[in-house]
Amino acid sequence: MSDRPFWWRAVLVDVQFWVPFTVLFLGFVILRFVQ
Amino acid sequence: MTSAMDGARQRKLHRLGIFCGFAAALWLAGAEAPTKLVTVAVSPLIISFMMVAGAFISRWSLPALIRSTADTFADVKHVPHLVIWGVMAGCLWAIGNTLTIFAVRDIGLSLAFPLWNSNSLIGILWGTLLFKELHRAAWLRKIGVIGGGAIIFVGAILLSAASTTQAGHGNPLRGITAALGAGLMLGSMYIPYRKAYITGMNPLTFLTFFTFGEIVTVTALGVASLGGVGAFWRELVADRAILFWPMLGGFMWVVGDLFQNYAAKYVGISRGIPLSNTNQLWGLLWAILVFHELRGLSANIYAEVIGGSILMALGAVAIAFSFTSESEYGSWKEAAQRETKLYGINPEYVATRMEGRDYDSKVTRRTWVDWLLIAAAVTIFAVLGGMARIPHMEIQMGWLLALSLAMIAALVAAGLALWRVTKFT
Repeated sequence: MSDRPFWWRAVLVDVQFWVPFTVLFLGFVILRFVQ
Repeated sequence: MTSAMDGARQRKLHRLGIFCGFAAALWLAGAEAPTKLVTVAVSPLIISFMMVAGAFISRWSLPALIRSTADTFADVKHVPHLVIWGVMAGCLWAIGNTLTIFAVRDIGLSLAFPLWNSNSLIGILWGTLLFKELHRAAWLRKIGVIGGGAIIFVGAILLSAASTTQAGHGNPLRGITAALGAGLMLGSMYIPYRKAYITGMNPLTFLTFFTFGEIVTVTALGVASLGGVGAFWRELVADRAILFWPMLGGFMWVVGDLFQNYAAKYVGISRGIPLSNTNQLWGLLWAILVFHELRGLSANIYAEVIGGSILMALGAVAIAFSFTSESEYGSWKEAAQRETKLYGINPEYVATRMEGRDYDSKVTRRTWVDWLLIAAAVTIFAVLGGMARIPHMEIQMGWLLALSLAMIAALVAAGLALWRVTKFT
């Protein structure tokens, strides 16, 4: 894994990345509703 | 991990983290107060933008003042992947903050806070699921933290029950949705926080990159919603007399946020976040004493609000006394080792920084860049402050002074403690 650049590991390998990312997407949806 | 932290150091860091959590609460509550001065006829997106602009300026100038910009860049070289996480956390904050402003407008400051507070429960969930917090902790401590968080949430429900009878400000359903959405955003923002601090990153470094995510998101939201750059700018110019207030709120938020981040670093998110979220109690004091927000309501609503607040305070006390045991700290280290392997970080850096010590022995000095950043920040605040107008509303100056003095006292005490124990690492 260490031959990959850091952004590759952060975005594609780390499953934790997708938790806040999904929440962020949801945030935009909620924002659309409340405006 | 190459070095084992001794128990005395660990307890010292725990006490420091808890103290930072309480100081954060005081400042985060105070940060919402200046936005109360602009509730008349200004787009919430302009308020949000100015708050973030204040935060952006402060997040570059305060680290320059405390440890220098060169130190920030030296720190990030050890953990470059955290730049991505910092920016993402900033985006989450920006949306959370915009939603909070909508919520405050619709259901009021003292009632939007409790719903927003669900972020601490989400923080506990993520801390436990993703970062092995509370793993291998004694049952009494688990109960202290989870029970404390739950009691705080029950207090929040009590307070929100009062909101349905106080629907004068706007649309209550929309306000409640906005506040819960803000809770979800801010609760999940703690994933990047913990990700950074489990690897030992300096909160000052993390927040410097975090601020890019927030300013870009908030500007994009503002420009898109107000109909383009021209319209956005015209709105800013038209509202210039009040721009200082949200900007001041942004500065105060940064101070609170810094303490919250140090708390998240040294006691974890499952303890640090519920503690800093006791800002509701202070928010309530601001609302009642300074702005007279709840005057003229029935005794029943007062009972709900006061009962809810007492529960929150009890929950915070339970969490504060749930010390991290040796075995739980071992679980934190396992989570840190996972990060070390995944991103190829120097284990020595992680171990030293988790203990709140400096890794790089050479001292970085402030340069002209730092002084330029500080001077620019002071100038911007002074210019907007010069244009500011105090709106005609009932403000109790005595209480305003008393609460401000309490905040300054907490700032000095927590700042000194952080310097003595960790040199702000």
